[in-house]
Amino acid sequence: MNISQAVKMAAKSISSNKARSFLTMLGIIIGLAAVIILVSYAEGQTLAMKAYYESMGTNVLEVSANNWMSSEDTGKMLYDYCLGLEGVEGITPNGYVYNDMTISYGAKTLSRNRNYGGGMVMIGGGGMSMSYGGGSDDHYPQVRLGNDKYGLCNDYKIAKGREFSYLEIQNMSQVCILGSDTAEYLFSFADPIDKTITINGLPFRVVGVYQSKAAGINLGNSEDSYWLSESIKRNDKLLLLPSTMTRFFNNNESIDEYIVKVVDSDSITKVVTDLNGFLSNIINTNYGYYNVYNPSEYQGDQEEANQLQQRFLGGIAAISLLVGGIGIMNIMLVTVTERTREIGIRKAIGAERRSIITQFLIEAAMICGIGGLLGIAVGYIGTMVVTKLSFGLVMMPGSAITVGAFAISVALGIIFGLYPAIKASALQPVEALRAD
Amino acid sequence: MLIDIKDLYKIYNEGKESEVRALDGVSLQIDRGEFVSIIGQSGSGKSTLMNILGCLDIPTYGDYHLDGTDVTELSDRQLAHIRNKQIGFIFQGYNLIPALSARENVELPLIYQNIGVDKRHERSEEALERVSMFDRAGHKPSEMSGGQQQRVAIARAIATHPNIIMADEPTGALDSKTGRHVLEILHSLHDDGTTIILITHDNGIAATAERIVRISDGKIIADGTREEVGL
Repeated sequence: MNISQAVKMAAKSISSNKARSFLTMLGIIIGLAAVIILVSYAEGQTLAMKAYYESMGTNVLEVSANNWMSSEDTGKMLYDYCLGLEGVEGITPNGYVYNDMTISYGAKTLSRNRNYGGGMVMIGGGGMSMSYGGGSDDHYPQVRLGNDKYGLCNDYKIAKGREFSYLEIQNMSQVCILGSDTAEYLFSFADPIDKTITINGLPFRVVGVYQSKAAGINLGNSEDSYWLSESIKRNDKLLLLPSTMTRFFNNNESIDEYIVKVVDSDSITKVVTDLNGFLSNIINTNYGYYNVYNPSEYQGDQEEANQLQQRFLGGIAAISLLVGGIGIMNIMLVTVTERTREIGIRKAIGAERRSIITQFLIEAAMICGIGGLLGIAVGYIGTMVVTKLSFGLVMMPGSAITVGAFAISVALGIIFGLYPAIKASALQPVEALRAD
Repeated sequence: MLIDIKDLYKIYNEGKESEVRALDGVSLQIDRGEFVSIIGQSGSGKSTLMNILGCLDIPTYGDYHLDGTDVTELSDRQLAHIRNKQIGFIFQGYNLIPALSARENVELPLIYQNIGVDKRHERSEEALERVSMFDRAGHKPSEMSGGQQQRVAIARAIATHPNIIMADEPTGALDSKTGRHVLEILHSLHDDGTTIILITHDNGIAATAERIVRISDGKIIADGTREEVGL
């Protein structure tokens, strides 16, 4: 018997036993779909967290330091110390402007009136539109005070123009850098470089625009991922001013927050120790405070929690696959036992053992293959449905897990489909014929 | 000599208390072109004998030469070839494959011979014509009466043009008229030169054969013409 005959025979047998074939497939479909959906869910969550932390920058430390009683400029001392510290790539003040500002370019204006609780955006000179609590029209940027290393320390890349220069910081120049969302809002398609915007009526020249951090990050559209994507998107709403501008906008209050960029993850521990040592020397905690915060530590905890969850979901998925596998095994055993007589007939009229095994092998492979493909389809559709239902962060399943789960269920089907066929084909024809 | 068996034994549970000697030293020779009835009571060992003659089962002891070949020495694969090419089986319970149509059932042994599709169709049509079942070629066994199923089974047995037809109670499940029809087909095959071995417990059916072998308790107790065995 040749292979094409065996394939035809197998197809015939599958189609003439639709219910049985479907039940076999069902085990595979459920097992595979469960694996794909659960693993995608877990992987989606991990990836979303990773994207969030990466958007914050890697190998960075957040340092806060303030000395109320000292007349010395703690910030300046810290800044100078870091410049000479081994393992540090850069440091920038990370100052905030606490008062609301009015930022405008041409007819476009960004402002915020806190009396409305959320955010209010004025579009155009005359027309007013209001939105509350972070509505989609809320383009009001975070106003930050930083230096020439701000982009480096915060993982921003220059899209157009340049970073601040050292002199611009020293001279309190009226220059600014825009986040991608802010630049797009104010300038639409025009090139913002060397254009002048006004902040509270004062002219500021745009010297640079940062690349978007949110672009290329897809977190899905579920509720759980909402705050993550919003935090990432918020990075693109930025107006960066020279740190020395704090004198003007914050009534000469000193900046007490710094971001330190460390050269690599191996140096973080050393730099944290050095910084703590230095700060403990210059700040008496009775009259001030200091803190060196390592976000990657928290990220590590998060990753651990995610891994735990991944293992838990992976375990459930493995159980589904196992149950599916037992289903396949069961129905295959019953099928072949029930067909022992058929095997006897085939042997009686001259089928070689090999022909019978080939036929059952092809039959099992076809059932499992079709079931496997259906399972993958159901898994992908299920993943999309779960995404829509907003149960959590969902990404499309990885090909490795899909192929792996497919291979396992097909292998189960073939092994358990073949084993009884091998057994039955070894019988004397007369014994197989006696079976009912 | 087509079939030559000497001192054939088939013993189940040998050496135990429950030992059964289904065949207890049987010797038998059958020539090419003979029509032989093997007759005996239920449990006499006649079906066991046919199973061994048809290479469906192996004897515990004894010699069996089929067309000069020592069958007891053959491999599983070689036995499959003999069953496929030399012997056609007709069973009491028809033994058709339920999922296949009449034509597909008839073509099954030809598929195992790797015969091409055109030739296969030709041979299955010829065989179905011979048993007057060509008009039911597309029907499945469940859509046919017992007699029709048995005729399809005969068509399957003759499709490979075997030397020997072995029929085990071929009329056992049929009414007498249908049974007679099946018998007529067997006789016409015999007229064409096929060796027929017919197993039955029915004296009337056995009596239509030119040679009758009577078996009892696993032993041959009579062998000869109708008159010689006393039918």
